[in-house]
Formats: sequence, C-alpha cells, structure tokens
Amino acid sequence: MAISGRSLADIDWWILAPAIFLMGAGVLFIYSSGVTSEGLVVSNEWLKQLVWVATGLVLLAAVVVVDWKRWRDLAPWFYGASLAALVYTRLFGRVVNGARSWIGVGDIGVQPSEFTKIAAILMLAKYLADSRHDPDRFGRFVKAFALAAIPMAFILAQPDFGTSLVFLPIFLVMAWIGGIETRYVAFVGLLAVLTLGFAVLPLYETVIADAPSVWLSVFYEPPRSWLLIGGLAGVFALATLGFLIGRRRYYYWIAYSALLLVASLMTALVGRMVLKEYQVMRLIVFLDPSVDPRGSGWNILQSITAIGSGGFGGRGFLQGTQSHYRYLPQQSTDFIFSILSEEWGLVGGIVVFSLFFLLLARCVVLLRNLKSAYAAYVVAGVSGMIFFHFIINVGMAMGIMPITGIPLFFLSYGGSSLWTALIGVGLALAVSARRFDL
Amino acid sequence: MSDLNKTGDQPVDPRRATILLALIGAVFAVYAFHLFDLQIRRGVEYRAMASTIARQTTTIPAQRGEIFDRNVSSPLVLNIDSFAVDLVPAELPAALRDTVFQKLAVVLGQPVDELRSKVPPAYYHLYQPIELAQAVEYGTVTTLAERADEFPGVAWRAEPKRSYAVSGSFSHILGYVGDITREELKVLYNKGYKTGDLVGKAGVEKQYDALLRGKDGREYSVVDVRGRAVTRSNRAVDQPVMGSNLVLSIDRRMQELAEDALGERLGSVVVLKPATGEVLALVSYPSYDPNLFIGTGGNNVYAALLNDGRNPLINRAIQSSYPPASTFKAIMTTAILEEESVSPDKEVLCEGQISYGERVWRCWNVHPGHGKVDLEEALEQSCDIYFWVVGRDNLGIERIVAYASEFGFGTASGIDLPGEVDGFIPTPQWKERRFHEKWLAGDTMNVSIGQGFTLATPLQVANSYAMIVNDGVIYRPHVLKEVRDASTGAVVSRVEPEAIARSRTDPAVYAEVRGALRGVITEGTARYAINTKAVEVAGKTGTAEVGLPDRWHSWLASWAPYDAENPEDVIVVVVMVEASNPWEWWATYATNIIHQGWFAGQSYDEAVAALGMGWIAKPSASRVE
Repeated sequence: MAISGRSLADIDWWILAPAIFLMGAGVLFIYSSGVTSEGLVVSNEWLKQLVWVATGLVLLAAVVVVDWKRWRDLAPWFYGASLAALVYTRLFGRVVNGARSWIGVGDIGVQPSEFTKIAAILMLAKYLADSRHDPDRFGRFVKAFALAAIPMAFILAQPDFGTSLVFLPIFLVMAWIGGIETRYVAFVGLLAVLTLGFAVLPLYETVIADAPSVWLSVFYEPPRSWLLIGGLAGVFALATLGFLIGRRRYYYWIAYSALLLVASLMTALVGRMVLKEYQVMRLIVFLDPSVDPRGSGWNILQSITAIGSGGFGGRGFLQGTQSHYRYLPQQSTDFIFSILSEEWGLVGGIVVFSLFFLLLARCVVLLRNLKSAYAAYVVAGVSGMIFFHFIINVGMAMGIMPITGIPLFFLSYGGSSLWTALIGVGLALAVSARRFDL
Repeated sequence: MSDLNKTGDQPVDPRRATILLALIGAVFAVYAFHLFDLQIRRGVEYRAMASTIARQTTTIPAQRGEIFDRNVSSPLVLNIDSFAVDLVPAELPAALRDTVFQKLAVVLGQPVDELRSKVPPAYYHLYQPIELAQAVEYGTVTTLAERADEFPGVAWRAEPKRSYAVSGSFSHILGYVGDITREELKVLYNKGYKTGDLVGKAGVEKQYDALLRGKDGREYSVVDVRGRAVTRSNRAVDQPVMGSNLVLSIDRRMQELAEDALGERLGSVVVLKPATGEVLALVSYPSYDPNLFIGTGGNNVYAALLNDGRNPLINRAIQSSYPPASTFKAIMTTAILEEESVSPDKEVLCEGQISYGERVWRCWNVHPGHGKVDLEEALEQSCDIYFWVVGRDNLGIERIVAYASEFGFGTASGIDLPGEVDGFIPTPQWKERRFHEKWLAGDTMNVSIGQGFTLATPLQVANSYAMIVNDGVIYRPHVLKEVRDASTGAVVSRVEPEAIARSRTDPAVYAEVRGALRGVITEGTARYAINTKAVEVAGKTGTAEVGLPDRWHSWLASWAPYDAENPEDVIVVVVMVEASNPWEWWATYATNIIHQGWFAGQSYDEAVAALGMGWIAKPSASRVE
C-alpha cells in the first residue's frame, strides 16, 4: 500500500515532534557525557547515536508507510520469530553484564528482548481484539496474560530482570484498555507489587530497617511463613467452598485476597531463591542509598547530587561537575537524565517531562477515538511501554525507584532501545494516519 | 457483564482511557514535584554537597587463600606484603613536577620516562590516583614516608602480592592470577566479581577461584568533589573475609622427583593413586615461572611465553593428546580375554612383516620377527603383527571402540584443572562423515596398536591403567584434597573418591592382564631398562610413529608395587616424552628413576646413582627452565 501524496500532513506531529526533540536532547547529552573535566572528548557514542537515530527514523518511516493491518496479520509470525530469537540468544548469545542477551556479529549486536516488546504488543493486541466478544471472560484474561508472560519468562531466564519487567505494564495497560475485568487487571498488578515487596522484605529488614519487626518476619521466616501460607491456602479453600455453596459476594473477595497473598508469597519465595543478595540489594537500595555507598547506593547518591545541584536553570551545557569529574556512572545510558538535569536544571527536566507527557497524552486521546479495537490496543501497548520506561528510569535517577538498568527511551544511548521506541512511535503514527480504518 | 455493555460500538471504554490519562498525569505531577523538591527546595544543599563532600570507599583486599601440598608443610603459594605507589596528579605542583619524577625514579628504581608515560599531560588536573608502581617493597615505602614532604601527591596502599614459592612444573598445577579482563567480567559479573578484581587465570588458581578469593572489605571516607580527603576521622570499616586455604593431593617430593626424572625433555609425567584418584604429581615440560608475570615487565614475559614455539603454557599431561601407541595393547588384551573372541593360546606367526591391502605392515622387530607368539608373549614383546591380525580378524572395530571408551579414552576425565582435552577414538561413522571415505580393515589395524587417529592425554592413559589395577574402576583424578579455613586451619571439606567408570569385565581378566604387564618388565621389552630393585613394577612401553624417520613419542605406563597388599600403596606412573626430543627411549628410564626414588625414599640424584644410570641421566642441578 503506497502512501498517498498528502500523507505527510496525516502524520500526527503531536506524537512525532516530542520524540524528535527528545532524541535531539539525547544526542546532546550523550556528547556531554563523553567530555571529561579537561574538555577532552573521549567518546564517540554521540556519533553512533546519530547513526541509530537516522536508521531508527528510516525504520519508523517504513512502519508508517505500510498499512498497519498488514502488521496485524503478521503479528503471530513476529511473535513466534521473536520467541525463537530469544531461545537462540539464551543458548548462543553473547554475555554482557552477566546476562546472555545479545546476538550479533563482531561489534554490531542487537538485543532481541527489545524487539520482543513490539512483537508482544502486536500479538496481544490481535488476541484482545479478536476475543472482544468472547463470553469466557476469565479464559480471555488467562490467555492474554500467557501471551505476555511467555516472553517475560524467557527474558527472565537470560537473566535480564529489568527488561522482563516491562512486559507487566504493557500487559496491564493493554488489558485495561482492552476491556479485561478490573478485578483481573488489579490481581496481576497487585501480585507483581506484593511479590516484589515480599521478595525484598528480608533484606530490607536486615539492611535498611532500624529495628526489624517481629510481625513482618511471618512473611519470610521459614516455620512461620509456611504456617501463614498454609493458613491462607486454607482460607482460600474454605472461602471458595463458601462461595460455591452460599453464593455470597464477600466469599468471592475473601478467596480473591487469600489467593493473591498465597500466590505472591510463593512467587516471592521462588524469587528469593533465584535472586542473589546483591541483586535484591539493587532493588531496595534507593530506600536508603547510604547502606551501600560503594556499590549501587553510590550511583544513586551521585545521581541525586547531580540532579539537585542543577538548581533552576542548571549549570549550563558541558558545565556539570558531577558528570565531567566522572562521579556519575553510566552517564550515557542509565543516568542520562541526571546529567541533563545537572546541566539544564529544573527547566530542562520539566521540558523533558512535558515532551513525554505530550506524547503519551496524545496517544491516549488517539486510542480513545480509534474505530479499530486492534489499533487502539497497539497504541495502548506502546504507551504502556514508554510510560513504564520513563517511570522507572527517571525515578531511579531521582532516587525514588529501584535500579533495574532500564534505559530512558529516546534519550539513552543504545540502538536496540531507540529502535524499539521509534518502531512503537511508528505504529502509533501509522494507526493515526489511517484512523478510520477497521 | 457491566464493563462490556457500556462500550457500545466504541472499542475502547472512554472512562478507562480517561482513568489511564489521569494516572499518567498524576505520575508526571508527582515526578515534577519531586524534581522541584530536589532542585529548588534542596538545590542549595545538593550544590554544596557536589562542590564539597562526597563519600568515597576504598577496598581493603581480602587475603587470597594459600595453597599447600598434601603434607601441609610449607605453602606452595602464599601472599607477601607488598605495596602499590599512586600519584594524584593534581596535588603535584607544576613547578615541582620534573624534580619529583626524578626523585621517584631513583627511589622506585624505574626509568623516569616509564613513570612519566603513566601520567600524560592530559591527566595533570585529575584528582583520581594513578598507579605508578606495583609490588613495591616495604623498605621503599618507608623511604617515601620519611621524605613525604618531598613527594607531594604521592600515596601508597597495601596490596598483597601472590608469591609462588615453587615454580617449575608446579606452575602447571597451581596456575597464576591476573587482573580480571572485560570478557571474564562479562561472564562472572553475576557472581559478584567487579572491575579491578584479581582472578585465577589457570590451574588451581582458576579452578578454585571462588574458594580462594574471599570477600573484599571496605573502608569509607569523606572526600570533596575533586577526590581530596576531607577527614579521616569518621571512617567506617567492613573487615575483609579471608579466602580458604587449599591442600592439594600433590606430593611435593614426588612432584620434584618426577620433574627431575623427566628432565629437559618436552613431555609430561602423571603419577596418581588408582585407589582414590588423587594425583601425586603432574609434570609438564617446559613450564614457566608465574612470579615473573607479576612484577615489572610482566607482560613482556607473558608475551614471550605465548610466542615460544614449545608452548610452555600448555599443560601437556591434560591439554595435549597423542597416539597412545603400544600402551593401548593392554586395553586390547583385556578386550581379547573378556570377549573370548580368540583363545589366548592361539599363536600368530610374526615374520617381521605382513602384506595387507596395498601396503606392507612392518612389526617394530622386522628382523627376524617375533616368531610364533600367543597373547601373553605378544604383549610382552609388543608384537604389532599379533594385534593387527587379532584386532582385524577377531575383535573388530566396534568392540575395540567400546573397550577404549570404557577405559576412559575419548572423554575428558573431569580432573579439577581447567582446559582438559577429550582425546579421540576414531569410529567408522566418524571417518565417513569427516573424510567421506569408508572405514577399511587397515584402519582397524592402526587402531589395534594405538596408532592412526586415536589420541589420548597422558592422564587418560594413567586412568586406563588405574582401571586395570582397580579391577575395573576409575576414580576421578583430582588435585584438590582438602579445603581448610584460613584462620583456624580446620578442614572445611574433603574431596571424596568418585568412580567415573565401572566395567563389568571379569576381575580374573584384569588379574591376567596385570600378570602379562608384569611380564613386560620381567621378560619383555622393558626387561633391561627397568632394573629397579626397590619395588616390583608392571607396565607397558609405547613408541608412537609421528612420521619422523628417527624419532618417536616415547611412552611408559606402569604401576607399582605389582602385587600390593594395600591398594592405597599403589601408584600409577605414566611418562610421555615427545618425539621432538632426540630419541633416548627416555620414558622407560624416567619411570625407572621415579619408582626407585619413590619406593626407596631417594631423591633423583640418589636414585640415579643407585640404579647406576649416571652415564645416561644428567644431575638435577644442571636442569634449566
């Protein structure tokens, strides 16, 4: 399907322009991150990022030009291919930072897990759209969740905890917009939050809390925690029985809560066995960075100091001391927002926030008015993905979110994540340009 | 259900979209407020912090575990106090730069150019310490400390240095340590390693790195933004945890005896206890001195070793494989006896050569040939013709391959040292796949005498003889005996024997093979060469063709005492001397010396004198690395 002559005007600039401005700022601060206190440029990452931007825009154009209904028809293939790529990566990929997550030749490599996000969005949207009128509401929820959980599990096995987490918000936002019952969406959301909470609780109690609470230890100390799990399982069984016999609403909610607790306690138990202590440490250290001032806590302290010292107008481009004296770690990827805030201050930070908000708000408005369910769900998935990356990365830089190594879309250095973001934006632009199609 | 019906023909419930939008808006509002809080309300505070104070941590390296031999006398590897000297370039005034470098060059004993090259002009304003010298002695540091005012910006820190008390053939077992590389870090990152860590690169140091390394301690101090220490008072310290000490199964006396017995010949020696798999000695020549990598100019030493055509970094006992040659005839004999494919009394006429296929096959004894030989005589005399004929006509390649696999050929033994190779047993399927050629009876003949494509490490040959000694069991060879706590010396764990192969062959067959192998020493090919009176030796010679007219790989696989009452007393000794050395049939003589020395409690020189081998064996002192 060729694009018609007036299609440039069909482009939703409210979505594309913020992305372009953000990428521009990204290149500037990737450049800044490669400059030492002596003013020497020691890194050519900014040049590479320009190449990624240019190629990413070509990809975006390619996504827009093709009728989005083709992407819908191909979704199962993309999904299958990306799962195959994940399996291949797990077996033969390159190990970077302890995770076997890269494939490629020589210096050029990609992370299949990034592109799997797009494939999962397309597949999930197709399933949710096709099953809209399925009378088995619970079955629909379970199947949709499985579609998101499978790639998530594969990426968790690499092991790349941060990237796998992204599939949760993608699922939650798409399920919410896709009309999955609130109580099911809430169950998944609460399960994730509780699991994380229970998993980090023991280390939190020993390392961060001033006085470990005896009451909280029932959630993790073996004899008592098993009693608790057993008791809750009993409550669940009784309440389920009560609901089946008595048909009372409150039995349902008692069973629901008990199941939620049992499931999150069990998952947390598995999580604690799989995760190493220092990995859990990265998750909770933001609560009190001074407990690990050399490791992860150091990064957070330096990042907060950098942001805080930016003040209202910032220290000026290339003038930040935290970054140029190399106190900030991973300036061009994980902590790009810190260096931006140090040098451009609150003004720069708010501009970045506004650009992200504009892009996301425009996406939500778009998806509300779309006539095609599939198209709306794709936009929902893309929004969820971008939103979550923003929350986690910027939150980490400000010291209010755990360290998970999730890049900030459009700004952070790196080809795979930039391409993923631009393909996502391309999908939104594509459905916007043909918004009345079904 | 209610959620659905209200959507009408709109695919998306507008209320849900509004709630999502509100959620996004709320998050942005919270984040914007937090950013405002950080940058405006507390901005002054952070700005002050950024320009004055930051917490800095220094690592207190954990003491790496020491390594002992089985008698736990003196350590083979230990840590010695050593210092690194750093320079903080920005604290060195420009006017004094030249004189300070001159003085440092004198004190550290290094060329001034080399020191200056470590601090290029681009670094002059850096407040991060730059390492000028490693492995500096205590005396040098006291000199620097006494004259501290002459050396602005110069600092030092303790850095325990790994010291290898023994080198020579021990190096192949112990290995060495070095800075972790980027590639290693990628793999080890999830195990808690980090940049700048010291990590084992070879041998026991690599294999048991996790046990040896311990856990680094930390010291916190407060510095300003440029890295200058603000105060030293409020230091908090996390004490380091020492790594475990390792006790090896290696016996220092045996290792030195075997090393001397091999002498300056490219090759290797394996000595192990068949009853447990404990390795008593593992010698590979040439070797290297890891202490030389650690000091100044270490990279050049290492590069020279890499370029050395004799491959001194290769542990030939486990990382090289060779045709096992006639040592393989012991496996053939076991197979022939157990399979009963031919009567052991059947005689084959050896006239020195036979014609088969399109070539003439010559026994090593071409003139006059061995005459009529039965199985036992064939093994004693190492008659090729017998094994060619029986292997080809009676046993067949499938059964030979099955027995070779059972004896551990073609699979790494799993010794606790890195880099062990598998060796190789050729099969008809392999030849078809690899060369697209059919397996010929001639190939079977080659395999029957341990030639052709068959490859085995000296350790695998030792294991196959351990199987004969043990009536059909091979225990996994290992060099680690015990792990001990570094501070208390208490044994934390002990390595237990673990069978890696169990054969169903009748024990009587092994007894018969053992008798025949004893005959090799008393009546056969090694009759005159192995003349030790200290112990009854049994074993088999081997001479592998490598395509050179006057040189061969020389093997001798043996054990002693031949008929031990206590299986713990038995040692299996395999000596392998490569064909690149001048031909001396040395494996046989070296074996003679090792058994004499071990069982008579003599050193190499004493054993040589006792055996009357002074005319052929050089004294140990003349040996060079």
